[in-house]
Parts: sequence; C-alpha cells; structure tokens
Amino acid sequence: MIEEVTLTIDDVLVKAVKGISVLDAAVKSGICIPHLCHVPFLSDIGACRLCIVENVNNGKAKITTSCTLRVQEGMVIRANSEKVLKLRKNIAELLVAHAPNSRAIQDIAVRCGLKEVRYPFHNANCVLCGRCVRYCSEMWQGNAIGFVGRGKDRHVEYPFGKRPDTCKKCNSCVLYCPMSVTPCGEVMKTGEEHLCGKCDSQMAMAEKIPGACVWCETGKSFQCARYA
Amino acid sequence: MNSTNLETILEGRRSQPHQLIEVLQDVQDVYGYIPKDVMGIVAKELGVPLMEVFRVAKFYKAFTLKPRGKNVITICTGTACHVRGSQLLIDQVQGQLRLKPGDTTKDGLFTVECVNCVGACALGPVVVQNGSYSNHMTPGKLRRAIDKVQGKKKEESPHA
Ligand code: FES
Ligand code: FES
Repeated sequence: MIEEVTLTIDDVLVKAVKGISVLDAAVKSGICIPHLCHVPFLSDIGACRLCIVENVNNGKAKITTSCTLRVQEGMVIRANSEKVLKLRKNIAELLVAHAPNSRAIQDIAVRCGLKEVRYPFHNANCVLCGRCVRYCSEMWQGNAIGFVGRGKDRHVEYPFGKRPDTCKKCNSCVLYCPMSVTPCGEVMKTGEEHLCGKCDSQMAMAEKIPGACVWCETGKSFQCARYA
Repeated sequence: MNSTNLETILEGRRSQPHQLIEVLQDVQDVYGYIPKDVMGIVAKELGVPLMEVFRVAKFYKAFTLKPRGKNVITICTGTACHVRGSQLLIDQVQGQLRLKPGDTTKDGLFTVECVNCVGACALGPVVVQNGSYSNHMTPGKLRRAIDKVQGKKKEESPHA
C-alpha cells in the first residue's frame, strides 16, 4: 500500500508519497525550487546546492538540500524565505562565475534573481554536478566515467583516461550535461565572460515581481527543451 | 608479475565488493604500487566496475599508481613542519636526487613524496624513510641519510 504523508511547504499543505524527496514533492505540487544536479529517477547526491530549503523543526530552522531530504509527516519547509533566497542567489552567483559558458547555468542565475557577479570568472567546462556520472552508471550500468581525484583536483574521467569497453556510446553524458547547452548568441571567450543579460525582460521581472515564473517549468531551471 | 601472489590476495574475497580497499592495500603491499592490469583483475574478481576501482585508487593518497623506488622518502609538509622548514628538506632532495616530489629516480632507488601531516607535529620537521620516522630533520641529516643508502662515503674535504 502506498503511504502518504502531509507536510507544509511555504505555508501550503502538500500530500506526498512516503519516501520521496522534498524537492520532488514540491515540484509535483507546483512549488518551484531551482535545481541542477537532480535528475528524476536517478539518485540524488546534493552536489549543486541550489535546491536548499529551510527545514523548520521545533522553531529551529536548518538549511539543507531538499533533493536529499525525505518527506516526513508534519514537516515544515520554507523554500522561498528571504534567507534561502539570499543563499541560493549566492550559490547561483558562484556557479555562473565558475562556468558561465552554458545557457542552463545562465538561466539558473536569472531564475535566482542574479543581476551582478562579484566573483572573478573562470571559463570552466564542468561544475561537477555529477549528472553524467550517475546517468551512465545508474541508467545504463555503463560505469564508463566517474569522479577522479579530490578537492580542487576532482574531475570527471574515464578509467585510465581511455574509453572503456563498458561504454555504450549512448551519448547520454553529453545530453545530460548542463554545459552542453550553449549560451544564446555565441560562446564566450576566456576573458570576456559575463552574466548573459540577453533575457533582460526576465531579469526585470525577477526583480519587480520576485519569485515570478521565468518559465523554467517548475524548477527544471533551464529551458533546454529536454526532459530532466 | 606474480599471479600466485594475486591469487592469495583474492582468495576468499571474490565477489565481495566491500573488500575493495583491503584488496588494494594488499596489492600495494606486495607490488609496491597498484599496476594497471591488476586493477582490471581485481575489478573483475570482486565484481566492482573498473571505474570504481580506479576512482578509489586515485582518491586515497596511500595508493600509488606508479612504480615506486626501493627507498621511499616521505617529507611532511604539514603546517607545523612547514614553518619549521620542510621546504629546505624538499630543496635538499631536489638538489641531491634531481627529482620533484612524487617522482622516482631513474635507477629506481628513491621515491620522494610529500604528505600533509603525519601526526607528530611537535617533532617536526618529520621525514619518514621506509616507514621509520625521523624527527627534527635538517638538510644535513637528510643528505647523510641519502648518501648512506647510495653507499657513498663521506668525502673528507681537504680544507676541513
Ligand atoms: S543539490 Fe539538490 S538538486 Fe543539486
Ligand atoms: S605537520 Fe608534520 S607531522 Fe604534523
């Protein structure tokens, strides 16, 4: 039998199937929480931190990632409180500064209401969201790529740097990579990275009507015309 | 390469993915490093994806993927040892053996490595040579230790 629990997200009572994550519950009931590393039907690792929410317990609010938080009866979640919005904006800012060359990431920045980046830009080509890694191993049992190294040396690699036989050449790693969505206009060169700003109207809206929908399709966060 | 060694390491541990780290440790003990083809065999025998074996081997500093020299000199570059001058020790080996930390000499006699703290900060700078710890190291002491292994006699300088 499917058990259901009731929880409160942003003052709304939400019914959710026991065992799913708060992020899933929110998105299913139309409450938008931006997220990047979460892919439906894959395990969540909480890598991008965009989906943070406040989990209020006994009057104490704790910030956690909602994709790794399981729903519980009587939970109180604040997904769009001032504090969360501020933190989320900062996370988005760090993401754009690290890897601006992606429409997905630029869209996330707009969605989080970012108008200015205070950090130096790096033209990185990976944000370590782990979407490709998990898709490869969990969906296709390919185990062809994985995280190697740690700390600032962490990166995605083939074993011994060579494509292994287990790779099915399905191309899912590219398809699911947020960096594979090129920015509108042209690809930014090193030294001229910037916050896109082509969607001025969206930005203005994010400012004038905070929390307004930027057609990210409920937390999908970027309009890349593909599911996930 | 000795396949009987590998056989004994793997015995009783086949198809047990959770044994991965122990097996890799044993491999490291026997071979001195983790050879590429052994990783493939381990992956197959334990039922772990090769990627996972590679990831684990790369993650822990205790595992090396390159063959190591007979003598492993580990210089601590942790905070305490750093302020007590471990950089001088690194300069010393670099000058004497002509290699960068992490490398092995051509004759396969020495490997020099740096670690971040060996947990004996009060005794720094610490140098570990083949598992034995030396405290309060100085470039001079280190030079003599290396000379000793190389079998060089201390050359008496005529002006001494
Ligand atoms: S951390 Fe939750 S979606 Fe990335
Ligand atoms: S810093 Fe060298 S032992 Fe701790």
